[in-house]
Amino acid sequence: MKRFKSLMIGALTAVLAVTAVGCSSSSEQEQQVLNIYSWADNFDQDVIKDFEQKFNVKVNYDVYGSNEEMLAKVQAGASGYDLIQPSDYMVGTMIQLGLLEELNKANIPNMGNIVSTFKTPPYDKENKYSLVYTWGITGIAYNKKYVKETPTSWNDLWNEAYKGRVIMLNDPREVMGMALIKNGFSNSTTNTKELEKSFADLKKVVPNVVAFDTDNIKQKMIAEEAWIGTVWSGDAAFIHAQNPDVEYVIPKEGATIWADTLAIPKGAKNKEMAEKFINYLMDPEVSVKNYESIGYSNPNEKAYPLHSEEYRSNKMVFLDTADIARAEWLVDVGETLQQYDRYWTEMKSGR
Amino acid sequence: MKTLRRNALSGYSWLMLVFLYLPILILVLYSFNDSRINATWTGFTWKWYVSLFENRQVMQALMNSMTIGVISSVIATVLGTAAALAVKHYSIRWSNIFNGLMYLPIVIPEIMMGLAMLVLFSQVQMELGKVTLILAHVTFSMPYVMVIISGRLADMGKELEEASQDLGATPWETLRYVTLPLIMPGIIAGFLMAFTLSLDDFIISFFVAGPNSTTLPLYIYGLVKRGVSPEVNALSTLLIVSTVLLVVVAEIFRRKDSKNNQSIF
Repeated sequence: MKRFKSLMIGALTAVLAVTAVGCSSSSEQEQQVLNIYSWADNFDQDVIKDFEQKFNVKVNYDVYGSNEEMLAKVQAGASGYDLIQPSDYMVGTMIQLGLLEELNKANIPNMGNIVSTFKTPPYDKENKYSLVYTWGITGIAYNKKYVKETPTSWNDLWNEAYKGRVIMLNDPREVMGMALIKNGFSNSTTNTKELEKSFADLKKVVPNVVAFDTDNIKQKMIAEEAWIGTVWSGDAAFIHAQNPDVEYVIPKEGATIWADTLAIPKGAKNKEMAEKFINYLMDPEVSVKNYESIGYSNPNEKAYPLHSEEYRSNKMVFLDTADIARAEWLVDVGETLQQYDRYWTEMKSGR
Repeated sequence: MKTLRRNALSGYSWLMLVFLYLPILILVLYSFNDSRINATWTGFTWKWYVSLFENRQVMQALMNSMTIGVISSVIATVLGTAAALAVKHYSIRWSNIFNGLMYLPIVIPEIMMGLAMLVLFSQVQMELGKVTLILAHVTFSMPYVMVIISGRLADMGKELEEASQDLGATPWETLRYVTLPLIMPGIIAGFLMAFTLSLDDFIISFFVAGPNSTTLPLYIYGLVKRGVSPEVNALSTLLIVSTVLLVVVAEIFRRKDSKNNQSIF
């Protein structure tokens, strides 16, 4: 009887103690906490560890799988994060919804280190709320075993020789944007005539397409199921490492550029620490270590001379500044989006 | 003729098994693949498992899953056992309705539960994190514990408890020396079930997770965004293996339970 009671009490105390530890870990006495909400594997582990030691801070790093998911969490208002990583268009949306804090540039002197294109992105023209962290350009990846002539234009995807061997992203804005650029228009046009013309053109490429499949592009290119397609530069680098026959070009007509940024959600508890972290990531030497580890393109111009020869010679990661300047951002198209979606559905269901 | 039919039937059964387990088998197989992609087999390796254990994020997610799993299933077991006992012993008014309402969370779509809890937590301005995750996990696993223990209690009948009271035991002593020992295998099975559910849950956790509370399933989902890599396969394999082990142990306890039961009567 007694034994049982003390057992029960013991168990209960244990539960309470563990719960208390679980709760209090987020409010430890002296040490500050930085809560990051980001994509998986987006930082080098040692870079985070070094930051923790240098600034006596505990970094909590949680992950999301899509911008919309992150938006929902932040909108629910109870998220408690200090640093988030919205993509370009999502920065625009979040600014409009008033969900982002203005960055205090005095805390981020390294902000000036980035490539000039990234200082004036259309979604946040003066980097008031966001700073580019990872980025890439949607170009053409091709397997030189099957594609003998180096592609130079989006038009090469329309080549009948590649019937059933072209792979494309599963994204209406990306694919319609590509067709628009091919026809000499803006990738974010709101002009219905331009859209109509590009869509008619796009329909002709459909017989060539093996799949619209963003998630399996890498696999299909490596396994040589697909010979040529629209691929993000970062993915192209990954593919090339696994299958050296796959090369990458940015077509002469131009291409779409994207970025994931660093931003601070409204009401962040540790805004200053988040700014310190941003500044730390933009330090040239830290960024070299970070980007060579995660394999993305570094937006930090000051860091370019410090990169290893291997990184610099990889033209899928170390993109030409001229190509960056030529690339175009996707911007909000307002009501026209419905038309993009309608064309997209029509094209996919017509297959 | 008969053998033909039997062969056809067993063939069909095997096909069903293949249908159920082939995807999992492939997933497990490719976690040992030397190549970074799930397309071609290039050789056997343990390296993805090794790299998992060196990954601080994975270890953190594992710790989170364990903490949340243990705490939430202990609470769910205590509450579920108490509820099962209460329903059995006191024929409260509308006890059928009460019972039905208790089990409803089992059939409510998880996405509704998750959304409802997110709305509730943000209404009362509770910060999302480990605590909200634990609360949510208790909510959805408690009915399962109740089902398991109620079943055990129904099998047990009233006689033993009545006998105990006839012999002068207080209600507390009856609970302690008669009821609890008899249903203990059920309690353990219920606890393991709750733990398994907590470990595997994605949808509800997805809604109510906050800073520093990424669990393994949430982490796996985040990784898939970067393409399915062998690390994801390896992590999923570990999750599957531990789930299966837990369910087997729970089942052993449940079976032992009914065997004891037969020997008593």
